[in-house]
Amino acid sequence: MSTVPIEPLLHHSPLRRTSLNGARTFLPSSLNLRCHFTSKKLHSIGRGIASGNSLGFLSSERRRSIAIRASSSDTAVVETTSQSDDVIFNENFPVQRIDKAEGKIYVRLKKVKENDWELSVGCSLPGKWILHWGVSYVGDTGSEWDQPPEDMRPPGSLAIKDYAIETPLEKLSEGDSFHEVTINLNLESSVAALNFVLKDEETGAWYQHKGRDFKVPLLDDVPDDGNLIGSKKGFGALGKLSNIVVKPDEPGADVQEKGKSSSGSTKEGKGLEEFYEEMPISKHVAGDNSVSVTARKCPETSKNIVSIETDLPGDVTVHWGVCKNGNKKWEIPAEPHPEETSLFKNKALRTRLQRKDDGNGLSGLFSLDEELEGLCFVLKLNENTWLNNRGEDFYVPFLTSAALPTPKTNQEVSDSGFTAEIITEIRNLAIDISSHKNQKTNVKEVQENILQEIEKLAAEAYSIFRSTTPAFTPESDLESEDEKPEIKISSGTGSGFEILCQGFNWESHKSGRWYQELQEKADELASLGFTVLWLPPPTESVSPEGYMPKDLYNLNSRYGTIDELKETVKRFHKVGIKVLGDAVLNHRCAHFKNSNGVWNLFGGRLNWDDRAVVADDPHFQGRGNKSSGDNFHAAPNIDHSQDFVRKDIKEWLCWMREEVGYDGWRLDFVRGFWGGYVKDYMDASKPYFAVGEYWDSLSYTYGEMDYNQDAHRQRIVDWINATSGAAGAFDVTTKGILHAALQKCEYWRLSDPKGKPPGVVGWWPSRAVTFIENHDTGSTQGHWRFPGGKEMQGYAYILTHPGTPAVFFDHIYSDYRSEIASLLSLRNRQKLHCRSEVNIVKSERDVYAAIIDEKVAMKIGPGHYEPPSGSQNWSVAVEGRDYKVWETS
Amino acid sequence: MEVSVIGNPQTKKIYRAELTYRELGFRFGSQVISGDSRNRVSFLTHQSSKWKEIKIRSSPRSVRCEAIVSDQAPFLKPTPNSRSLESVKLFVGLPLDTVSDCNNVNHLKAITAGLKALKLLGVEGIELPIFWGVVEKEAPGKYEWSGYLAVAEIVKKVGLKLHASLSFHGSKHPEISLPDWVAKIGEAEQGIYFTDRYGKQYKDCLSFAVDDVPVLDGKTPMEVYRGFCESFKSAFSDYLGNTITGITLGLGPDGELRYPSHQHETNLSGAGEFQCYDKHMLSALKHYAESTGNPLWGLGGPHDAPAYDQQPCSTSFFSDGGSWESQYGDFFLTWYSSLLTSHADRVLSVASSAFKGTGVSLCGKLPLLHQWNKLRSQPSELTAGFYSSGGHDRYEAIAEIFAKNSCRMIILGMDLSDEHQSPASLSSPESLLAHIKTSCKRQGVVVSGQNSAASVPGGFERIVENLKDESVGVDLFTYQRMGAVFFSPEHFHAFTVFVRNMNQFKLSSYDQAVEGDKAKTMSIGSGTTGAASLQTA
Repeated sequence: MSTVPIEPLLHHSPLRRTSLNGARTFLPSSLNLRCHFTSKKLHSIGRGIASGNSLGFLSSERRRSIAIRASSSDTAVVETTSQSDDVIFNENFPVQRIDKAEGKIYVRLKKVKENDWELSVGCSLPGKWILHWGVSYVGDTGSEWDQPPEDMRPPGSLAIKDYAIETPLEKLSEGDSFHEVTINLNLESSVAALNFVLKDEETGAWYQHKGRDFKVPLLDDVPDDGNLIGSKKGFGALGKLSNIVVKPDEPGADVQEKGKSSSGSTKEGKGLEEFYEEMPISKHVAGDNSVSVTARKCPETSKNIVSIETDLPGDVTVHWGVCKNGNKKWEIPAEPHPEETSLFKNKALRTRLQRKDDGNGLSGLFSLDEELEGLCFVLKLNENTWLNNRGEDFYVPFLTSAALPTPKTNQEVSDSGFTAEIITEIRNLAIDISSHKNQKTNVKEVQENILQEIEKLAAEAYSIFRSTTPAFTPESDLESEDEKPEIKISSGTGSGFEILCQGFNWESHKSGRWYQELQEKADELASLGFTVLWLPPPTESVSPEGYMPKDLYNLNSRYGTIDELKETVKRFHKVGIKVLGDAVLNHRCAHFKNSNGVWNLFGGRLNWDDRAVVADDPHFQGRGNKSSGDNFHAAPNIDHSQDFVRKDIKEWLCWMREEVGYDGWRLDFVRGFWGGYVKDYMDASKPYFAVGEYWDSLSYTYGEMDYNQDAHRQRIVDWINATSGAAGAFDVTTKGILHAALQKCEYWRLSDPKGKPPGVVGWWPSRAVTFIENHDTGSTQGHWRFPGGKEMQGYAYILTHPGTPAVFFDHIYSDYRSEIASLLSLRNRQKLHCRSEVNIVKSERDVYAAIIDEKVAMKIGPGHYEPPSGSQNWSVAVEGRDYKVWETS
Repeated sequence: MEVSVIGNPQTKKIYRAELTYRELGFRFGSQVISGDSRNRVSFLTHQSSKWKEIKIRSSPRSVRCEAIVSDQAPFLKPTPNSRSLESVKLFVGLPLDTVSDCNNVNHLKAITAGLKALKLLGVEGIELPIFWGVVEKEAPGKYEWSGYLAVAEIVKKVGLKLHASLSFHGSKHPEISLPDWVAKIGEAEQGIYFTDRYGKQYKDCLSFAVDDVPVLDGKTPMEVYRGFCESFKSAFSDYLGNTITGITLGLGPDGELRYPSHQHETNLSGAGEFQCYDKHMLSALKHYAESTGNPLWGLGGPHDAPAYDQQPCSTSFFSDGGSWESQYGDFFLTWYSSLLTSHADRVLSVASSAFKGTGVSLCGKLPLLHQWNKLRSQPSELTAGFYSSGGHDRYEAIAEIFAKNSCRMIILGMDLSDEHQSPASLSSPESLLAHIKTSCKRQGVVVSGQNSAASVPGGFERIVENLKDESVGVDLFTYQRMGAVFFSPEHFHAFTVFVRNMNQFKLSSYDQAVEGDKAKTMSIGSGTTGAASLQTA
């Protein structure tokens, strides 16, 4: 059963807490917390009620009366009686009734002419429909969306971040409830498939297909994850779709797949076929009705006559009682009762409203003794639907005007203000406890809600305080504390003298014996001068590269078995190299589908349910809190705000430390969750070294990279700050600026306005892990490849500068090997470290030069530079194309 | 006045709701309640434990305030026994830079969310630091309250109480200085700031010696402070007595009654230095020396006091049998401490006359100078200005001043415990706190608590211990201070547990009251609080 709370007009009336007999009455109004706090909870509790037999307080315990007097004239007043002089109460309550409307979604692919096709998506229900869509390009793997090419976007489209477009559906014709949007497809483009979900802005509900995005393939070889529409397979196999129910995160939207589809299909173009498919959907539509209540005193009998009228359709029963003795307890009035009245469990009366003579709506008359103080009621529409007054009982007070105290001014309202509801709720709670002390469970639930609300508010306050408190204090301040004990080991920096080797690329999984291959290179890597090795993600993964982990405790992967992994770690420890595990904490692939067919239930040792999944990604219907960071759309994002999740992750990290022997972590996609949790994890697992991947875009203006990338590095520094410096971060800023500087011969970019390095390394060198390439940016993926042929300039920069440099595997085993080896040995020989002091001596169009710790000089760029021939005696240490490094002897 | 409706004791989490029953129409001012040791008025005559009471309780403070207003009741003393946390009200301080020097409210959204969270948590109120340098920034007599008024309005809307701290000092972190025009005067005329023997000025607070010297454009600092208080009173008249329940007067550096004996040194290894070298101090000293017949003693401060970074006993002044115990020492320290005492008196009387009749309680803040207090000389206290001739109680004179001005004393450092102090510092915050409390008790001064600025290990536990202390009732505790750290998951969780612990403690006696099944909801006066319930199928 469910109760539908409705908004009374008088919500903030100063007279809500009215007075009886001149004294203060405590009439808490307003409703259950769930409505104030999150609608999500409302539904979950609603479901809970439905499943159990007991009635939650939503419908019973939580009822409170609300007193509204006739003198509050700011509401719509419906005069229903001619004897207005005797009217003591007159109120029109708007009520919302939720109806289930059924209709269909259809998808039509039509050929206009050769290579010009049209995809139409429509819906037959009224609503404010939005098509939320993106495309997959040829060669894309995974289920990530991309922005469609400009010419595909219908007018009125809005880009959502960098992966989706929202296009409103237009009404087909005025007065018609059909909405449709048409997208023109040009098959010349490299779009492989179109993905979409439908969103109803009115209700906030998302409509998906089989719990996944709708996917319309435009090519033959689009992988079928079971959510294809109109593909040859999917198309003919619609019968198979019968089990599909989508439960969006908002109520009342089901897409039931029992659809028939069809239309002539012709083979055309790249095997594309025209098709037309329909899927029935249902939506809860709010109907606006009203209940008007008039109470008057009958001059002859002195009785209170209450008339209740409503335009609600169907049968309506008034479930009511009366109040006496200044008490809001429901009591049964003396007989006679109105017609069609039955006694309900000795607690209330039920009176069915009669159809009015004019056929428009229902009405009922209640004649009650004069000494009664008021009438309380709720409306019952059917067994499962009740209407109350925004969580409260309707309350009709029978005060004669003489007894009415003078109305108070607005003072009360300003006093209560915007937390009034919450505070009222606490009061209700307090009363609840005292009057229903046996209902512990309910009370508990309310308390949980309050606690959750407190947590939510505190988190909000925290995040704003964090961002408004100037996060960046200049380097000297940041550094001063850990500067003094020079060789203090901290997880953000290791010893300060670390040099990382990324020990894999995007193809490393292919041999199936990567761990063994790597082991063989241990001596070699150690002799090159590396101190830390970063291994690929070790867990069982849906994708072979390991970044779509599934069972975190299963460490048999495409790189080798757990035993081979342990052996490898041991081997590297033997040669004095620490080993970092690649920990993917942001997301995790599910083992099972939920009842809606959405993959969000986990198995294995960490058999989390959907509470472990963030709530704000419609694809995965998580029941956790909103994500504390950005979402990664290809897999359920883990909700790190859940205690049980954090506990499990900490345990897992500690297990990896112990079982595998990892010394630290490379943390994948840390943009996805708050850095404070990372601190928590670092504190628990006590790594020797840890570095997070916080990768977002630099600032560009008109396609040109901005000189000032402070905002970009600030975001990274913020993240490090959030971890309390327990982890470093890859210096994406430096990589980006090196790209621009080297590619376009703009070496002036390499000094910020203060004469410091312009990347993270200029602000917080000890936490910056500098790199020029990794498995994503380079390798066979090449998402953001370092300017070709200029890699050595990049290494000449990062291997001489402060920060902790990381060298990519591919570069070690390339022609650059000997040059890199010389730079590594120089760095070790001269004991350059993450906090080395850099003095930029030249940053011009074609040359950048710096002296580090007064013992190493370097220049990159075609331009000329020689270190000053003064007291120091410089000798060339390494030299190559467009770079040169000197050291003092 | 407030009514607490206290919930089911069998559940762990308890919420209190404070209701303002304005129409109820009775006032404590006209009633004598001192007989009730907990200052609780029960409207039930049944003493049966089976009855559930809805209690109206009033803190000693609010009762006392009424008493002051009517100018008749004697100063109500806190009750010594049957101590429970029930009567402890919890306040939380807002960030020092809540209002920027352009009168903007900083972190507005964060504060609003934070206040709601605290309200839900059951916190009584909020402390708002109001800086002289922000309000009267530009010109004397030109007050700009808008930022602070906006904060007061938010606090009021959320339904919390407000405790305003009028700060006549500046702050280093965040940087808030004295009013610009004062700073200008300070540059032109040497000697309005505290100065150490090296001539280094402490520019965040005016010297006690200029209190009654017309150094500020022809006005004395006391006159300026008075103007500030009056302006505050009229600007906040709508809030005084209802939302604003307390005002703390800034008595010195960081608002605390003390000399800035460490200036801004963060290194607290030493005992600090005497700050008596500004022009006005020196001339007052000279005058005092001449009047006591020792003109040679009035030429400067002690020559054998240690420097900031020196151990107290590295020179002869503070050692056993050292100068501090000599006749000269007594002469100097008596004078030095008398300036502190009279400064407190001046500020507090300015405030008590300004806020008379507003129904707010006045407070002053005392530091907990626990470093080196195991040394006989207790040098940290001496450099900060706490001394009493002949080995008498060093806090007695101060407590007397507070009592005289009906002012409560906020004691800092209630979170400090002996076990977490470094043994080398010879410090004992616990015993010093007990000492000050005793002095207050003797003088009938109500004590409020506050934690030290930085969070310390075991802090919350120590605070609860202190609040439970039965010998001196602390009925108000201000937790410092809201901000990013405060709301960080780690800290906020600990804070929540702390608040809950307090609340649980509060209910211990109540638990038994509802053991029986006959517990009922009672009504107050003719108003009802009955809850309607309805069972439906």
